Amino acid sequence: MIIRLKKFGNTLVSRTSGKEAWLAFQPTLNGIPDSEDVVVDFSDVVVLTPSWADEFLTPLQEQFGDRAKLQNSDNPSVIATLDILTKNKVVAT
Amino acid sequence: MPNKLISIGKAAKLLGVSIDTLRRWDLARRLPSIRSGLRGHRYYRQSDIDQFLQDVHSIAKKWVEDLEGSVPEQEIYCPTRDVFQARLEHFQLELARIAPIDTVSLITAVAGEIGNNSFDHNLGNWPDIGGVLFSYNLQNKSVVLADRGLGILATLKRVLPELNSADEALKVAFTKTVSGRFPETRGNGLKFVRTIIIDNPFTLYFQTGDAYLYLKQDESDVIIQPAKTPIRGCFAIIRL
Repeated sequence: MIIRLKKFGNTLVSRTSGKEAWLAFQPTLNGIPDSEDVVVDFSDVVVLTPSWADEFLTPLQEQFGDRAKLQNSDNPSVIATLDILTKNKVVAT
Repeated sequence: MPNKLISIGKAAKLLGVSIDTLRRWDLARRLPSIRSGLRGHRYYRQSDIDQFLQDVHSIAKKWVEDLEGSVPEQEIYCPTRDVFQARLEHFQLELARIAPIDTVSLITAVAGEIGNNSFDHNLGNWPDIGGVLFSYNLQNKSVVLADRGLGILATLKRVLPELNSADEALKVAFTKTVSGRFPETRGNGLKFVRTIIIDNPFTLYFQTGDAYLYLKQDESDVIIQPAKTPIRGCFAIIRL
């Protein structure tokens, strides 16, 4: 299935709205068959931050692993967010 | 041309407020207009707008420096995250009129991270006045964010008790991925801000407590300096 992030808004910045999006989307995610990929589409997202992404994309990646794929991620804040999420490791938990 | 007259609509855009707000400020003599023409339309001197914008920076700085908290002017105050989100999106639209989409995307992301950071780290713990002061100036292309929260030292000390000063805490916040919201395994926000600033023609002044840093393009070193006057919480000026 394709998750069109623009359906959650064009300005995806806060931790709380990311968490809310993740919770609200659970029923849809739970209905995805094991054989299907989950494609995250960033079209028309103007602003993305690590705070929002940490609450939505990180658990999505954890849940679906290699089946989670990204597309149309050429917006500069999307690129910067994905870059920092990939690079950084948390040092204190 | 500092004494050029500009329309109320243009002045509203430059200040990031509504025309109705400017009318109220005029009546209250907070920002007086000049009446011109047969119908007495309101105009503003460019120099008055410049001075007013400078004042907003000063107001924000004073707000975080004051020992006693007070509620800021409604037009620049976001008491809740929802209000901040709405104003951030409005800022994004206004900025899109004068800047390329890449700049809009990155500057809004930086302002969004800094503003939301204030809410994330102080929710339920605001020492006196909760919320964020958020103001922008599209003419000199600057954004101001301020909060009277706990500050970065108190926040990070929860997970790194060995931190003893605001300058150490500030350095950690901008260089290491560590969340002050134990047990959350997050904390990329200010590193993200730093990356964007040093990769683009932007600058950032960021103060917490008695320490500040200044970031600009191509300067990856994080040099912390002692601030002249300590503040409550955090204070940031982003320039693009």
